[in-house]
Amino acid sequence: MIDCREAVRRMWAYLEESLEAKHFQEFETHLDTCQRCCGELEFNQRMRQMVAERETPPPMPADLRSRLEELLATGPDAPEAKA
Amino acid sequence: MLHANADDRASVPDEASPSAEPAFIDVLMANADRLYGYCVRLAGDPHDAEDLVQESLLRAVRNQAGLRDPSRLKPWLFSIATNCWRDLGRTRGRQVPTTPLAEGGENDDFSLFQTLAIEDPFPYSDELHLDFLRLFRDEDVQAVFLQMTPAFRLPIILTVVHGFSCKEAANILDIPLGTLLSRLHRGRKQLEHGMWDYAVRNGLVTTAGEDDQ
Repeated sequence: MIDCREAVRRMWAYLEESLEAKHFQEFETHLDTCQRCCGELEFNQRMRQMVAERETPPPMPADLRSRLEELLATGPDAPEAKA
Repeated sequence: MLHANADDRASVPDEASPSAEPAFIDVLMANADRLYGYCVRLAGDPHDAEDLVQESLLRAVRNQAGLRDPSRLKPWLFSIATNCWRDLGRTRGRQVPTTPLAEGGENDDFSLFQTLAIEDPFPYSDELHLDFLRLFRDEDVQAVFLQMTPAFRLPIILTVVHGFSCKEAANILDIPLGTLLSRLHRGRKQLEHGMWDYAVRNGLVTTAGEDDQ
C-alpha cells in the first residue's frame, strides 16, 4: 500500500501511462481509498492540458520556411549563395 | 550557420547526398513547424532556433539512411535537433546540463494543489483549483516556463506539449527512462512552485498574508 506522498510522486507518470504494471496497480488501489489524491489527479490532468494548450512557441517565420525549402531542394552541399 | 557533426547519435552517418528526394523534403517540411517550436524552446532565442532548425533538417537529409522506420520520423528529427543544440553549446563553450542534477530540490515537497487549499487566495471560488489555472494566459504560462531549469523543462515540453511518450522523450534527450521520469516529476514540482510564485508576484491572486501588510 502506498501513501499520498508516493501517489503524488507517481501522478504524472500515471497520466503519461508510463507506470510499470505493479506501480500502476498500487496507484489505482490508493485512488480507490483517497479522495484527496483523486482531486489532485484531476488538477494535474487539467494543469497538463493547460500547459499543452498555452505553452505555444511562436510559429515559424514565412521567410525561414521558404529559405529551408529552397535549401533542402538544392541539397545540403549546395553553395551558400543559393540559400 | 552550424556545422554538421558526423557522429550524430540519432542516425547512421551517410555520405553527403547531392539533394533529398522531393517526397522526403515534403515529409520533413510537414514537421518543420513543430521542430522549429522545439528549437525555440531548446535555444531560448528565435535567432539560434533558426540556425538549429536549419542544421537539423540538413543533417536529416544527409543521414536519411539512418531513418530505418519512416513512422519514427518525428522523434528522429527531435533527436537530431537535441544533438545539434548540444553541438552548438560546445562550439560556443556553453556548458550543457547533461548530468543528473543534485537530488532533493527545494521544490520537491511543494504541492500547488495543497497550497491553494490552505491559502484559499482571493478571488474566492467554488472551483478554487480549476479557476486558479484559468487565471493564466498564454504569456503567463510561457513566462513561468522560461524560469524553469532546462533539464526539467524539456521533459515536460516533449511529453506534454509535443505528445511524445516518456520512452521517446528519454531517447530524444539521450537519458535513461528512470532519469526522464525523475526529471519529469521534479519539473512538475518546479512548474507548480513557479506558477504559485508567479500568480502571487503578478497579482493574479491575493493571499491573506498580503492583505495584512
